Amino acid sequence: MKSRPLLLAAIGLALLVGFPFVVANPYYIHLAQTIAIYAILLFGLDIVVGYTGQVSLGHAGLFGIGAYTAGVLFMKFGAPLLLTLVAGVAVTAVFGALLALPALRVTGPYLAMVTLAFGTIVQILINEMTDLTNGAMGITLQRPRLLGVTLDERGYYFVICGLLVASLVVVHRILRSHLGRAFEALRGSPVASDCMGVSVYRYKVYAFVISAGLAGLAGSLYAYSEKYISPNTWNFELTVLLLLAIIMGGRKTRSGALLGAAIIVILPKLLDDLDLFRTVSVTLAALVTAGAAVQVARGKTTVARSAIPVIGSVALAVLSFVLTSMTDWRLSIFGLITLLVVYYLQDGILGFVRQTLGWRGHGASDAAAAATLPPPASAVSTAASQPATSAAQDLVAADKVLMQFGGLKALNDVALHVARGTIHGLIGPNGSGKSTMMNVLTGIYVPTAGSIAFKGQSIVGRTSSRIALAGIARTFQNVQLFGEMTALQNVLVGLHHTYRSNLLDVALHLPRYLREERAATARAYALLKFVGLEDLAGEEARNLPYGKQRLLEIARALALNPELLLLDEPAAGLTAPDIKELVVIIRKIREHGITLILIEHHMDVVMSVCDVVTVLDFGQKIAEGTPAAVQADPQVIKAYLGGELDASAAH
Amino acid sequence: MEILTQLIFSGIALGMIYAVIAFGYQLTFATSDTLNFGQGDALMLGALVGLTLVGMGVNYWLMIPLVCVFGAIQGAVVERIGVRPALRIKSEFGWIMSTIALGIIFKNVAENVWGHDDLKFPSPLPESPIHFLGANVLPMEILVVVGAVLMMAAVELFNRKTIWGKAVVATFNDRDAARLMGINTGLVITFSYALSSMSAALAGVLIAPLTLTGSTMGAVLGLKAFAVAIIGGLTSGMGIIVGGIILGIAEKLTGFYLSTGYQDVPGLVLLLIVLAVRPAGLFGKTAIKKV
Repeated sequence: MKSRPLLLAAIGLALLVGFPFVVANPYYIHLAQTIAIYAILLFGLDIVVGYTGQVSLGHAGLFGIGAYTAGVLFMKFGAPLLLTLVAGVAVTAVFGALLALPALRVTGPYLAMVTLAFGTIVQILINEMTDLTNGAMGITLQRPRLLGVTLDERGYYFVICGLLVASLVVVHRILRSHLGRAFEALRGSPVASDCMGVSVYRYKVYAFVISAGLAGLAGSLYAYSEKYISPNTWNFELTVLLLLAIIMGGRKTRSGALLGAAIIVILPKLLDDLDLFRTVSVTLAALVTAGAAVQVARGKTTVARSAIPVIGSVALAVLSFVLTSMTDWRLSIFGLITLLVVYYLQDGILGFVRQTLGWRGHGASDAAAAATLPPPASAVSTAASQPATSAAQDLVAADKVLMQFGGLKALNDVALHVARGTIHGLIGPNGSGKSTMMNVLTGIYVPTAGSIAFKGQSIVGRTSSRIALAGIARTFQNVQLFGEMTALQNVLVGLHHTYRSNLLDVALHLPRYLREERAATARAYALLKFVGLEDLAGEEARNLPYGKQRLLEIARALALNPELLLLDEPAAGLTAPDIKELVVIIRKIREHGITLILIEHHMDVVMSVCDVVTVLDFGQKIAEGTPAAVQADPQVIKAYLGGELDASAAH
Repeated sequence: MEILTQLIFSGIALGMIYAVIAFGYQLTFATSDTLNFGQGDALMLGALVGLTLVGMGVNYWLMIPLVCVFGAIQGAVVERIGVRPALRIKSEFGWIMSTIALGIIFKNVAENVWGHDDLKFPSPLPESPIHFLGANVLPMEILVVVGAVLMMAAVELFNRKTIWGKAVVATFNDRDAARLMGINTGLVITFSYALSSMSAALAGVLIAPLTLTGSTMGAVLGLKAFAVAIIGGLTSGMGIIVGGIILGIAEKLTGFYLSTGYQDVPGLVLLLIVLAVRPAGLFGKTAIKKV
């Protein structure tokens, strides 16, 4: 298993080192330099685009900041290469943190516009701050010196390649560690990340800072490589080109970034060579047409659906014979390629190859490896073993909770006291405020008024992630799993709090990180076993059947070592045998001393497992007591079944 | 003082242009929660097509409806190629990237058809300023304001008074429910894109006589109009007019007192700040997130 990546890495390294000796032409060496620089930039961009799932149109600006940091330091102070590289990374990382500020509040198209505005401002400032940047004149650099030697094209190539390999290893390790899982969790479900103790705010900032740092490194390398930088390089087109490279190469893979970098550097050169371009576009059209024909013949797609890529690629081929110069139409061609890639090659070239050849991702092989680890002493932490506060005190004491949305009182003066070690049912008709109560308890909503104490301490106004870390875990009524991550990885996100390793531990694979990763993986696997999902550990969460997804949410919540577990309709959509299984699991969780609050519409489940049941209706508590007492309560019967308002029942 | 009043007048005219483009963002956002990232390029195409028509001897006033038709077709094309497939696969990344890609293609085509240089757009009204409150106002500036207000009022009237408009409003309120009520929501979304690009194209021919026309005129205008849409709130009609005017005046002041090179900065900084502090805008309502 291990030998294939190692072999590939050795071949890759040999190619990198050998290239400038085989191809002595400085033009091609420079081209290779450019590809390597873009690859570093794309590793960073992929963290934001591929992993956290945000569209950044500001990376050309960050790239420019890196280049100008190097350029200005060189021009004003004649600073040496090493210093400018470090400064380039540091300065750009600071700007990345700035860019992350709006990213904390907005996502999607808003963030795209914000980052675009950022990139435009950077370009304007570079143009206008002539004292610092030489404005439109640009900055000319000389060949860099390292260790007293002036580096020639080949020497600088080796410097870049060294940094490329270093960034590759570091980025790869970060993204496969708990940090990378945190980034990916943000994309899957921000709310669930927060409720797993993974602060969305903090990890968004981390993602932008790391990404910007790499852009800065790439930028300062680029300044020396080109030996001349000017404001117009860092424009909108470059930004789009970078995004195209990521999606075309393949998101969430380092090899995809390398491939993407090669494509965007070589493609413009290709367009300059008309004959070559004609050959390539005809080949491409033939391939696409043949591919579509095969797909249609196999019944995988319809003629209508495959028509557009076929027409598109044929049109491109025809176009290449009509036009006498492709250079002017470069951007249109990039635009067309982007359209085709966005809709017909969503996982990029690498994703497509991987799918066709049936390669398994890291997720699956990691899960297989997890099964071989020695199991931990106990999968579920035993809450009783943790320092207990006085036994008489309620674990949760919420009083006079008011949650108001505009004029609607979703919770009106509700009190909820949950005794330690019990299973507390929370029932009521739809819209009675049960889920709102959950959201208030986990900090997703801040109550308008009232007090909530957990273990004797107020949690009102605390962030979701702090509340989660204090010991309240939850599942969600509409499942909030991290869809593109495997079952094992989902649980590992819940175990995020067990890691103490920092960036350095992760990047260098220091013993502390390796130890923590092993322990967490073994524990995650044991948790999957606890809910009976160990056979599906390597499966992506979105591919699991609905009932299994609910169980996976429970396993992920247990990973937090909670003292209180909130289950929001865990039986919804489950089949009868699944429900039986669920009841067994709920009982087992209680045996570990974990207190549960259970929202459920299946009355047989509620009545069989709960010690106390609270009934809500229209945001108010209408009854509380043992299941039997609640069942007999006339108010409850009225709330569920309706019924005439006779004079005696008037409220 | 005279200069200040004058700057404020030209700021208002510019601001109304932003408001019209922002209005276009609102239209598509209302029906489909999507935006055309190439909105600025729709404006640019409108202006250049208008210029060609005028060059062919078409009267400016006759040219306006023709450009509007062109804009509507262009918008429908963007929706069909760029947005509809993305809505079908529910990919936010998809429509962002494809409208950007279409924008780039339009810009590149314009570069190749009309060249890289900025062109002068002949003014349909006298170019001698009128004296008003001690400041010089170009007749064209007044036309911009009037045209922009008329355009927005016409669409609002359409939405409120006609059955077609009701379909648009219904789709805005709840796309799925509207579809279940037999409204062809796909067509409504296409229609909203057509309207959106039409208003951008109109803004293009209105502003073109005041500035120069060229393939690069759209990009920054589109971005700053987005700032206006955000400041005004993506759901508030009054907000974008106020937001547009604020930004237009701020820009003119910056351009005069600081440097024209920094003219674009206030809008962009405003966008960054508003989104970092109050994403729903100054006039919009904050949505409650549901879990």
